[in-house]
Amino acid sequence: MQQKEAQKLWLIAPAALMVSLFFLYPLCFSLYSAVTLDGALTLSHLDKAFELYSKDMLFTVIIVLVSVMLLAILSISIAALITLSPFRSVVGILGFLYRLPLFIPFIVAAQMMRTFLAKNGLMNNAFVASGLMTPMDTISFLGWSGIIITFVWKQLAFSTLLISGAMAALDDAQIRAARNLGASRLRILFGIILPQIAPSLGVALVLSTVTMMSVLSVPMMIGTGTPTMISADMAFRVDSYGDYHVANALGLVSYLICAGLAWFYLRQSLKDKGATA
Amino acid sequence: MTRLHIDNLQVGYGNKRILNNISLTVEQGEMMALLGPSGCGKTTLLNALCGFLPIKQGDIFVGQRTISHLPAEKRNITMVFQSYALWPHMTVAQNIGYGLKVQKIKQKEIQTRVKALLDIVKLTGLEEEKVTALSGGQRQRVALARALAIRPDVLVLDEPLSNLDAKVRLAVRHEIKALQKQLGFTSLIVTHDQEEALVMADRVAILNQGNIEQVGTPEAIYHAPASAFVADFMGADNHLTWPIHPSMVGDSSVITISHTDVSQQRQCQIYFRSEDVSLSPRLTDDDKISGLMILGEVMHSAFLGHDYRISVRCGAHTFQANYQDNLPEATSVRLHVPAHALHIFDHPSEASNAPLSNAVSV
Repeated sequence: MQQKEAQKLWLIAPAALMVSLFFLYPLCFSLYSAVTLDGALTLSHLDKAFELYSKDMLFTVIIVLVSVMLLAILSISIAALITLSPFRSVVGILGFLYRLPLFIPFIVAAQMMRTFLAKNGLMNNAFVASGLMTPMDTISFLGWSGIIITFVWKQLAFSTLLISGAMAALDDAQIRAARNLGASRLRILFGIILPQIAPSLGVALVLSTVTMMSVLSVPMMIGTGTPTMISADMAFRVDSYGDYHVANALGLVSYLICAGLAWFYLRQSLKDKGATA
Repeated sequence: MTRLHIDNLQVGYGNKRILNNISLTVEQGEMMALLGPSGCGKTTLLNALCGFLPIKQGDIFVGQRTISHLPAEKRNITMVFQSYALWPHMTVAQNIGYGLKVQKIKQKEIQTRVKALLDIVKLTGLEEEKVTALSGGQRQRVALARALAIRPDVLVLDEPLSNLDAKVRLAVRHEIKALQKQLGFTSLIVTHDQEEALVMADRVAILNQGNIEQVGTPEAIYHAPASAFVADFMGADNHLTWPIHPSMVGDSSVITISHTDVSQQRQCQIYFRSEDVSLSPRLTDDDKISGLMILGEVMHSAFLGHDYRISVRCGAHTFQANYQDNLPEATSVRLHVPAHALHIFDHPSEASNAPLSNAVSV
């Protein structure tokens, strides 16, 4: 019997090997490198990271939080329109349009936004051509606002997909029951739908946060240099100084920020589960 | 609670028409059952009543007020759903009180009314339970209380019992009926179960392919079906087409009929119930018999509990009869159906009045 168990373990060995070789080992090595110098434990890399880049860390957190909040508002609105709108043909078009960014890579999205949001970009040119603005009035959206716009534009498809999927999975009769008791559509959204899809909303936002923290192309192409996001700083440390220790320390910080958000989310969802059990 | 009147209603999806010129009146305090096979448009009618489906033509009146073009939330018609449609994130009291909260009624008043409703549906003490912790029967009672809480003009029930197991179904069926008598609400219940319709409703409307075939009291529908479809749907499971084609009758089988409505010249469809058939295992020569007489052979018998359901072959026909004893296969038997238990309808192709052989004696 025991022999059989051992044989079964061999079955998962290739997968386990791949995961440990290409995921666990680099992760552990990067964490190790962040807190050691020549084999001895040290906090000097972290100190240096905070000393040089604490402003960028704050900038990253603010950018991500603002983007996530906008994402939540927009994707709930789109999903709610798709679920509750009585105009089925408009809903069909919306349902097709919102998915498009899903198939566009971040780097392409960033390049598009660069040509769209710049001072002499497509958006401003369109305003000038239509007579709404003079060339003197145009402003560039490249910088923090451009980064937020790009993140929201790109992640909107993904989070709306998750949220509208969760809304579609609700029994239609639940919404009908509320309607014939006299509830308006807005009231149904807040009272009936959102409380039930909160876990999916949480997943969409946590996953979007992690994605935004890890994107390099957007802050590099749309950001104005300083302050910038942690991912751009990490690339800079490695490219310009070959300083892997500080780059890894920055990686550790962004990992902790993500872990903090994930902990907050898990605690919240466990609390909700505790309430229903 | 008020009178519901549906006038010439047409409903469809796209170009497909589901309901044709439905006219129906449910009197104040009456429970009407909509009975029909799957896909006949029963649920579509309820959805159109509640405002979940736009109507193409016609009008719906509640009392004197027309509601055809009001949105669902303004109609004051509530529905009890097949799937209960309770909100799992709310407690029993929150579910029941939701409609009152929407109407901005004071919290104290809501509490009193929810308590009273819980008493009525026999769920006292379960206010703070999550609805997910309740059994199917309890959930359906919560759904009923929720629908009644806002004192709707009309209550509609969409197959409310079909998700419950047989025993609970019987209990809840009687509870809903008793409650309807006690509170006197105007209601429309959709079902595909004829027994349920007969037991619960004051009147029954039979729906077939988007048309109303017959409206009447349960007794009238059962004893005097207006069409072949109604007779068949209400359990008249034996059927024969008159006059009988020679190819349908074997050597040893005989079918004779004596009925004022049936002649050799008239083509008709005859329906009768297996419980109206009296079966006698010995063949007796009784010429002066009125009604339908069939001589045939037992094919098989099935035990139903109270008695046996005997399948009798007569030429190409198979008839069902109830009998108190088991009968061996190939026993020769005589079936007799009294004239009053025969439901006779004109054949759809009455126009083609081709003379048929006289293989059977009339």
